[in-house]
Amino acid sequence: MQPLANVTPLKPAARAGAIEVKNVGQVFKTRSQDVVALEDVSLEVKPGRFVVLVGPSGCGKSTLLMMMAGLRQQTAGTITISGAPILQPDPDRVGVVFQEASLFPWLTAEDNVEFPLALRGVPKAERRAKAQDALKLVGLDGFGRRHPHELSGGMKQRVSIARGLVQDPPVLLMDEPFAALDEQTRMTMGDELLRIWAATGKTVVFVTHSLTEAVYLADEVIVMSARPGRIVDHLQVQLPRPRTYEMLSGDAFGSLRDRIWRHIRKSA
Amino acid sequence: MQGTLAINLARIAIIVAILALWEVLSRTGIVNPRLLPSASDTFATLGDLLRRAAVQKDLMVTATEVLTAFALAVPFGALIGFLVAENRYFADVAKPLLFFAFSIPKSIFLPMFILVFGVGFAQKVGFGFFSTIFIVIMSTTTAVESVKVEHLTVARSYGATPWQTAFRVYLPSMLPVLLEALRISMIFNLTGVILAEMYASRDGIGHQIATWGENFQMKQLLAGVVMVAAIAMTFNELVRWVETRCSHWRT
Repeated sequence: MQPLANVTPLKPAARAGAIEVKNVGQVFKTRSQDVVALEDVSLEVKPGRFVVLVGPSGCGKSTLLMMMAGLRQQTAGTITISGAPILQPDPDRVGVVFQEASLFPWLTAEDNVEFPLALRGVPKAERRAKAQDALKLVGLDGFGRRHPHELSGGMKQRVSIARGLVQDPPVLLMDEPFAALDEQTRMTMGDELLRIWAATGKTVVFVTHSLTEAVYLADEVIVMSARPGRIVDHLQVQLPRPRTYEMLSGDAFGSLRDRIWRHIRKSA
Repeated sequence: MQGTLAINLARIAIIVAILALWEVLSRTGIVNPRLLPSASDTFATLGDLLRRAAVQKDLMVTATEVLTAFALAVPFGALIGFLVAENRYFADVAKPLLFFAFSIPKSIFLPMFILVFGVGFAQKVGFGFFSTIFIVIMSTTTAVESVKVEHLTVARSYGATPWQTAFRVYLPSMLPVLLEALRISMIFNLTGVILAEMYASRDGIGHQIATWGENFQMKQLLAGVVMVAAIAMTFNELVRWVETRCSHWRT
């Protein structure tokens, strides 16, 4: 990505939440051959932006996200978050929200949210206060004592988001967080996520299969192709915020979704 | 709750019915009372036996053997089970072999244990250990496999150290399966030790039960059976109680 001429470069202090992916590649070595999962992927995300990664299955979008989280190492290129390379998980810089079933079933909702803090030895009272704030932010005030099996799918993902936000990292990475939810809950959770995002000003990178979800949520949509995974398009979504349900049937929305669909159909 | 109450009443009714049938069969002479002493006589004998110093000593001997064998077999088996489950190569090599070993009735090795250890404490503990270790290994393997990859990834993404991962993810994930394993291991362990005592021994409650049987002391024999059964059930229920408390989330 070439920086635009009229944008003044950000000072290092203001780069909290910026993500830079430079010439990143990932090759899986198997016994018979080398599989190129990602090839020469470069992108730049400015602080506070909501960026969605879409693409057909096997395009490496989740792999890319896991590399941004420091959970997997790329075989080529560099990934920088808040101005420093990411070589291993760093909860100070990055919170991760996974697909369903990532909550610990033996812990209550608030203990799940406190988990990242407990790992760092934050005192109990401070932990509890922060977890309460995070639960309130995601709209689960009063549900802290419940165990995951006592919560609905949407509520569980709210707890996951609270867990991702509890340490207040500038970046939130989300790996198909709503994939297992029914359509109705999914729409509600999308609106909820946008509300939380607006309230916290986080940089969000969101992976999804759903084109509607991608356009509805994003400032920018990055479209990837499969085998090898490459960026084939980078769209700016100029729809006004807050996004509303009515926009889904508008022309602007439709043409963006069609453009993404054409890319995906071509590569699938 | 009414359902649970009704079910409990039904259970108690069955136990009472069995005891009543036992009493009636013996008292009326439908079954020869010399072969089947009545329930009331048996329980009276049980009370007498429990007051006898010799029986108390036998119970202590057996308890020591059982607990020693258990204390050796559980950590040792758990360690092997953990290594087998965590190491792909080790698992591929060892798993079928463990299944082979598990399928063999352990009692056929009892004469060898006597030849190696003689008749005494070591023979009982050794055989108890041998009867228990395979089930411990296999249960631990299952327990490790019950740990979800997603949960490990979550821990890693929040910077958990290996110790934190062990105590905050592995242990709670495995606990329900491990407690169940503990319970079942004890059944195997108790069976092993008592069998060893009945086969060749100078003391222990298994030895007493065998002796009463050989001497046709039916009251003592039945009282001994009731005694061991009650002890085994108590331990089992105790662990099961802990189990349900620790695994309420597994629904």
